[in-house]
Amino acid sequence: MLTGSSRRCVLSQQVALAIVGSGGDGAVAAGEIVAIACSGVGLHVMKTEAYGPQIRGGESSCTVRLSTTPVRAQAGAVDALVVFSWDDFARFSDEIAVAGRGIVLHEEGDSAPEGLARTTIGVPFARLAKEAGAPQAKNIAALGVLSALLGLPADAIRAAVKQRFAKKKAGVVETNLRAFDSGEAFARELTVQIEPLSYTPGPAHLLMSGNEACAVAAVDAGCRFFAGYPITPSSEILHFLAEWLPRIGGSSLQTEDELAAIGAVIGASFAGVKSMTATSGPGLSLMAEMLGLASIAEIPAVIVNVQRGGPSTGIPTKSEQSDLLHALYASHGDTPRAVIACSDVADAYHATVDAFNIAEEFQVPVIVLSDQLVGQRKETIDADTLVHDVRERRLAPQHELDETYRRYAAGDDGVSPMTIPGMPGGMYQTNGLEHDERGRPSAIYGVHERMNGKRYRKMEAIARKYPLFRRYGPARARLGILCWGSAEGVVCEALDRIGDVSVAAFVPRMLAPLPAAELQKFVDACDEILIVELSFSAQFHRYLRTEIDLPRGRTHVHARSGGKPLTADEVVDAATRVLAAEEVLV
Amino acid sequence: MTCEQVFNANDYKTDLKPVWCPGCGDYGVLTSLYRALAESRCEPHETVVVSGIGCSSRLPGYVETYGFNSLHGRALPIATGVKLAAPALTVVAVGGDGDGIAIGGNHFLHAARRNVDITYLMMDNEIYGLTKGQAGPTTPAGDATKSTIYGNPDTSVDPCRLAISFGASWVGRFSGDVKGTTALIAQAIAHRGFAFLNVMSPCVTWRGDDQHKELRAKVRAVPADHDPASAESALRLCGETGHLTIGVLYDVARPTLLGEMMSIRWRAQGEAPPPTRADMLQAFAAV
Repeated sequence: MLTGSSRRCVLSQQVALAIVGSGGDGAVAAGEIVAIACSGVGLHVMKTEAYGPQIRGGESSCTVRLSTTPVRAQAGAVDALVVFSWDDFARFSDEIAVAGRGIVLHEEGDSAPEGLARTTIGVPFARLAKEAGAPQAKNIAALGVLSALLGLPADAIRAAVKQRFAKKKAGVVETNLRAFDSGEAFARELTVQIEPLSYTPGPAHLLMSGNEACAVAAVDAGCRFFAGYPITPSSEILHFLAEWLPRIGGSSLQTEDELAAIGAVIGASFAGVKSMTATSGPGLSLMAEMLGLASIAEIPAVIVNVQRGGPSTGIPTKSEQSDLLHALYASHGDTPRAVIACSDVADAYHATVDAFNIAEEFQVPVIVLSDQLVGQRKETIDADTLVHDVRERRLAPQHELDETYRRYAAGDDGVSPMTIPGMPGGMYQTNGLEHDERGRPSAIYGVHERMNGKRYRKMEAIARKYPLFRRYGPARARLGILCWGSAEGVVCEALDRIGDVSVAAFVPRMLAPLPAAELQKFVDACDEILIVELSFSAQFHRYLRTEIDLPRGRTHVHARSGGKPLTADEVVDAATRVLAAEEVLV
Repeated sequence: MTCEQVFNANDYKTDLKPVWCPGCGDYGVLTSLYRALAESRCEPHETVVVSGIGCSSRLPGYVETYGFNSLHGRALPIATGVKLAAPALTVVAVGGDGDGIAIGGNHFLHAARRNVDITYLMMDNEIYGLTKGQAGPTTPAGDATKSTIYGNPDTSVDPCRLAISFGASWVGRFSGDVKGTTALIAQAIAHRGFAFLNVMSPCVTWRGDDQHKELRAKVRAVPADHDPASAESALRLCGETGHLTIGVLYDVARPTLLGEMMSIRWRAQGEAPPPTRADMLQAFAAV
């Protein structure tokens, strides 16, 4: 039953597991059950999923990392892997690594591929499920095995199984629980010695995805109109708001395309309601012209872009950081907009509220740049951290509205008090054409220069008010790592792993306007710079070169395609090579 | 929103001078819109005129209401957003045939099928005027234009036929004087749901003086026996060759987008007290 040389897995404060299967195997469902159960007993959880392209029945995998302390990144390698079919595993072998001392539990009789070099244990998942009276429940039997081997909270998992199948026909809960029990019993007979997860139960956490956090944030920020077109991997935002906005007096509209989605958002915002759309790369491409309209007509709009592999249709189900330049520059002309990144689920919440605040206060379109990894992974989070100041639109006071009102008369920060339809005396006709202070079309150079200046002054004001970034490590460093978005958690974990007090990191949360002064100060205080990103053409590096001075010959770049999550291992490796004076790439 | 106060057409004029050519049909439509808004007692500050891009899409700048001259083809999504956000407003979308049927054709279909509660006024000149004389979707087949030097290879479409097929609940067509246009615009504004009015608006610059004459020769009123509740009868009128039937072609009552949105809210809220933020977060709580 046991193959391989290692018989002992050292597990203690944290554990990572993965389940791989085909449609019907319930790999993802099993992962969800573990995640919800563990969040309920106060463990910190990060759950990620990966799918093949099939709508139903394709291969899927679910990875769950459990820890007694907050989790910053998905696991680089798992301690236990359940494989219902090696054929399915082959599709994910690039993405799921088993730790050196990890174990692989596979369907008995399905022979392991050569060269795996890990402890493999054949488990009769199908038979255990069948004998329990629930042939479909081999995933639950696998949970029983994992629970016993890894010391997972069995009672909480049982409760989660009950909840999941509560609405199924009579007997389903019982047979599934029996499958769980027989998995546990099977594992107890194994001779493999594993140090179980050691934890003290604590208060329950919430379990939320980044997309859900964006949607909750929108509700909290006062968004009462959402328009969107379904697109992977952002549709959960549409789903949540389609359910919740009508319950709180708002509206959610599924439009015919992304052009209409952002059009409806701009219309609703023009009419005075905080509004948002959500999409992914292909949708953002279609929205480019409307982004310019919101920018020149100075109408608040929030656009969440959940990045996936590109270009074109690319890899819809997997993450990448390659929409960066598009988010920063999309739309013709000189088009100011704000772009704010989110690094994790909590950040998705705060970035989205910030996006509404900036959009409303400065009358600009704001893009929240998320990605599939942040958007679709679930993390534990506490309700008391989901709090953020909310700001309102700068409206012209009703008593000041008379014939002297100028919709686009600029204050020092470039912002003009706005009116909304329904306000007597505040009427104006806005325009995608260049226009003067009254909103009237103008083709005159002087007007164009003046209004461009006004619109870009808002960016300076945003930069002053929202210099959002996070910085890690010492003030002076031998090595400074620059990254953004979902790379942050991985880089933080790498910093911990390197444990070198002379390595620092800087993560801008505002990508436009960039906190350039702070970033330059950081760069100037580092001997070597390492830029880390999931973009083959190194878009972040290119962008930084346009905004700040990077040291010639001392700037290294670790940039690769998405399609597989960034791991702390590769960041550690790149950093170690730079510190050892090996060039990574310049 | 309409009110008891009496308005006259001049109340809706801005001091901006139209960019249109002398003799352009759009002047007549603009005057008709001023009169129809006054007749309908639309409060200027509670009215929004939205357009796309094109000669006729310049119109919002000339109307003293809230206005939005947006992007080519995109008037309808923006108008939809305005109406859903602020249902009390009177929302009128305006534009040309190229704006509404070529680049914005998809939105025309979906605004009509949703039966969104707005008026859509299409000024149809059978040509692209602003870009100086290229064939558009309503340009007759065979016509030579700047972009179809050897004759237009495409079959033209009838905007009214499209609107009826797409599910608009009120469809009218007009070609002629300000009085008649005014009356139809006022009816369209009064309609509950998506009201589409195709107004023939001759382009003297790119279609020549003959367009006026040709239209006059073809025009005839809706026959007395036409039943505007019958899509079949309305489509038959659209299909008759040699005639351009003007008047109310189609007029039915059916659920509107605003009504559906209200009904969705009722269904979502049920009898329960309004949900709290804690209720929302409960969706993410463990067992």
